Amino acid sequence: MFKRLAKAALAACVILPSIAAAGDLDKMTPEQLLPLAQKEGSVTIFSLSSRIAKIEKAFEETYPGVDLIGVDMSSTKQIARLEAEQQAGIHAVDVLYIADTPVVFTKLLQAKRVSNYVPPRVTGEIDDRYKVPLLAQRLSTKVLMYNEAAFSNGSPINNLWQLTDPEWRGRVLMVDPSQRGELLDLLTEIALHSDEMSKAYQAHFGKEIEVDPDVQGAGEQFIKDLFANDLILVPNSDVLNKSIGDINAKEPPVGFGTYSDRRDNKKEGWALQVANKVEPANGILFPAILTIADKAPHPAAARLLIDFMFGDDTPSGGPGFEPFNVPGDYATRKTIAGHPDSVKLEDLQAWTIDPQKTAAARGRIADLIITLQ
Amino acid sequence: MTSTSIVMPSGSRLLRSAFLMPAILVAIIAILVVAPLLRILLSTLTPEGLAAWETVLFSPLSTNLWWRPLFNTMALGFGVSIGCLLLGGFLAWLVILTDVPGRRALGLMATLPYMIPSFAAALAWGTVFRNARLGGSAGFFETSGLAIPDWLAWGLVPTAIVLIAHYYSLAYTIIAAALSSVGADLVEAGQMAGARRPRIFFGIILPVVTPALIAAGSLTFAGAVANFAAPALLGLPVRMQTLSTRLFGMIETGQNERGFVIALLLIAVSAAFLWLSDRIVSGRKAFITVTGKGGRTKRFPLGVWRWPLFGLALVVGLLTTVAPILILAASSLAPQGGALFSNWTLHFWIGEGGGAIAQGQAGVFRNPILLDALWNTIQLGLVVAFTTMLLGLALAYTIVHRRGSLLASVLSQLAFMPLLIPSIAFAAAYIALFSAPIGPMPSLYGTFALLVVAASAHNLPFAVQSGRSVLGQISADLEESARLTGAGLIRRLFAIIFPLAIRGLFAGAILVFVKMVRDLSLVVLLFTATSPVLSMVAYRYAAEGFMQFANAITLIILVVCLAASLIAHSLQNRVQKWKES
Repeated sequence: MFKRLAKAALAACVILPSIAAAGDLDKMTPEQLLPLAQKEGSVTIFSLSSRIAKIEKAFEETYPGVDLIGVDMSSTKQIARLEAEQQAGIHAVDVLYIADTPVVFTKLLQAKRVSNYVPPRVTGEIDDRYKVPLLAQRLSTKVLMYNEAAFSNGSPINNLWQLTDPEWRGRVLMVDPSQRGELLDLLTEIALHSDEMSKAYQAHFGKEIEVDPDVQGAGEQFIKDLFANDLILVPNSDVLNKSIGDINAKEPPVGFGTYSDRRDNKKEGWALQVANKVEPANGILFPAILTIADKAPHPAAARLLIDFMFGDDTPSGGPGFEPFNVPGDYATRKTIAGHPDSVKLEDLQAWTIDPQKTAAARGRIADLIITLQ
Repeated sequence: MTSTSIVMPSGSRLLRSAFLMPAILVAIIAILVVAPLLRILLSTLTPEGLAAWETVLFSPLSTNLWWRPLFNTMALGFGVSIGCLLLGGFLAWLVILTDVPGRRALGLMATLPYMIPSFAAALAWGTVFRNARLGGSAGFFETSGLAIPDWLAWGLVPTAIVLIAHYYSLAYTIIAAALSSVGADLVEAGQMAGARRPRIFFGIILPVVTPALIAAGSLTFAGAVANFAAPALLGLPVRMQTLSTRLFGMIETGQNERGFVIALLLIAVSAAFLWLSDRIVSGRKAFITVTGKGGRTKRFPLGVWRWPLFGLALVVGLLTTVAPILILAASSLAPQGGALFSNWTLHFWIGEGGGAIAQGQAGVFRNPILLDALWNTIQLGLVVAFTTMLLGLALAYTIVHRRGSLLASVLSQLAFMPLLIPSIAFAAAYIALFSAPIGPMPSLYGTFALLVVAASAHNLPFAVQSGRSVLGQISADLEESARLTGAGLIRRLFAIIFPLAIRGLFAGAILVFVKMVRDLSLVVLLFTATSPVLSMVAYRYAAEGFMQFANAITLIILVVCLAASLIAHSLQNRVQKWKES
């Protein structure tokens, strides 16, 4: 392993000066990148998903001569490790496959520790909002989930403000937003949509909202009221799913969870379903991004890998995307079809987060929820 | 090393023997512990860092961010520490110093809980005591019609109980090692002088093992204070935050400076308590019990209490080992996490892949990387346990021989801190420190060596605490005699100190081994390994939602730890043949 790294580093030193600058690499097709990547010999990726092992196999079969080294690590650890390495002058990783985009935006992109790359092959098939500031490969969710066995007539919630009613006191769950970034992003997004939240308030209570002096806007008022209504915090989504989804439960709670966890319903004995007709939205869609580390030792192979992970032209995305194509998650590349059993992306009533805006507003919400506990 | 040597050493020898080792140790500690700490401290002195200090300590947020979590944390720390000393001490006394039946089995059971991850005990608690607050399926008591109040199902009380059930075995391991060196002659002397049993216990045995009690107390305190799984599982539903859940949350949501401020404050508070307890020990005379004479252990007859006490110990052992293991085993057999005791299948262990269960994943024993990971794990555990104990022994030796000096108290304080430094910050500091070549040393980035260095430093407290509690009991006479016959330090260490202290050393080594085999953070952050360790395999399964496989791996890790401790046990018996009676 160490030998291989050393060899690759040596090779990179020899080749680097001779190859084209990064700007040119950005415009190359996979066919043009391949010979350069083969000279580089390998590519290292930090991945939030262990399904990178399947990508490794498929990638090495498609592009023999380029060794993929996949290391699976949570987003937080990827950020910590990349920061520490680059501060020490080490450039060992090429590609990050990572979520937690508000933090990536402030700590890595603004600090120029990573740079954005959009493969020319697929750029026409991805909406612009998924291409900047960082290229999203797929979207995951934190949306309102309910128990479809206990509520057989559909979601008991059709307006977020219902969650602050006495009827739902102590019956709304979420993973502690002071422990997990995605839930903090969800609350931040609610705060950012204050106008829609106040319209929804009007629709639910039939009167204009009055915002307390210690909070700003209807979104923050909602967060405050939700906590005051005995919102129950849990440590992880496993606990959440069991509590909401148990197929035998009589009066189960509702909560903010991951839509794609519904695929485990049968295996786990759950009845999880997304509450989609919710005013003004049922939660957030947040991206998992692919980005290139600053001074990546294998720049051509890095681009080849990112290109590969957007899949081929088939509806399933082929071996490059298929491992990530689960119902309830959504590809940003439009040629890849959603799962037939799940709500279509355009029909899902969720806000899509903008890493830049979320990053700017997140600190304030983080402080707010600490005072509310 | 002491100043009482008979032969006056020449100047250069004095330099070599009395100053060289402490100087080297101070340098090592400076690099391994002080440097990362300073780096963390410096990162909180930036403008953002200073703002974080203010937010944590003096802002409207401080109540919920610092003071209340601090209160919960200290309550847990002291509660768990006292509980562990009582429970672990009682069991150690029973197993080592009495004629209770089934001593070996009881002793083995008492070492187990620490090897079972604390989340298993928390889950076991939930299985029994869970109430309707979270929805989902209720616990055993609620389904049988007994309402469980929130304070018993969630929050401080259950967290403390679960942590005691987890950490008492740490206290047992250390106290038992110290008790076994209380020679029969001491006790018999007391008996001949007509002392009654309580007098012997409080007048002889307790004072002798005080250093071990302090060591065990501080390690269990640190363990409870740093534990994340139990307070998160049992505390969050009633919004109980501890400093460890706060710390985790701050780092997880990208607010590193605040996290580091909390970590530094936690280290400061814990250091203050440790310093106090250190004063208690060093303020008194040390009792030397390992004298080279005798060495048998005297067992008290328990009389009519033999069986009742055996029953009590057995119940404690069963509740704290069997219950969590059963939960783990059941959750590696049950297809549904919500119904642990139905439809058991061995699929997750030995099933062939491609079927309908678990999205076609094959059982863990069919995972081609399992053997590889098993071997890597054992290797890593052994290497780290060895290096940590070597370093820890040297430190403990110096601390014990210079008891009361400034050097000793500084070293012992510093050697205790790594346990409380969040591993993500620890690892980041190590990458920064060792990635560039230092002098003749090449860059350690991404190497196994870096992992071993960092892990040794991180686990140092176990080695130092368990080492000094045993070394403190060894008579200086033995070393003096050896020195008179011309034996050098190395010779004395291997011929005298090692064999006499082996129980304590192995006790520490096992604790380090267990910690290392289970710990994931350092490995992921420091080592770019294509060959995984078991904890990484378990993490991969868990991250994909395959808890059954993950729990199966956890059980395999448990078996590895257990095997290691049995081997250590038989080794120490072979070395200390005189103990067999």
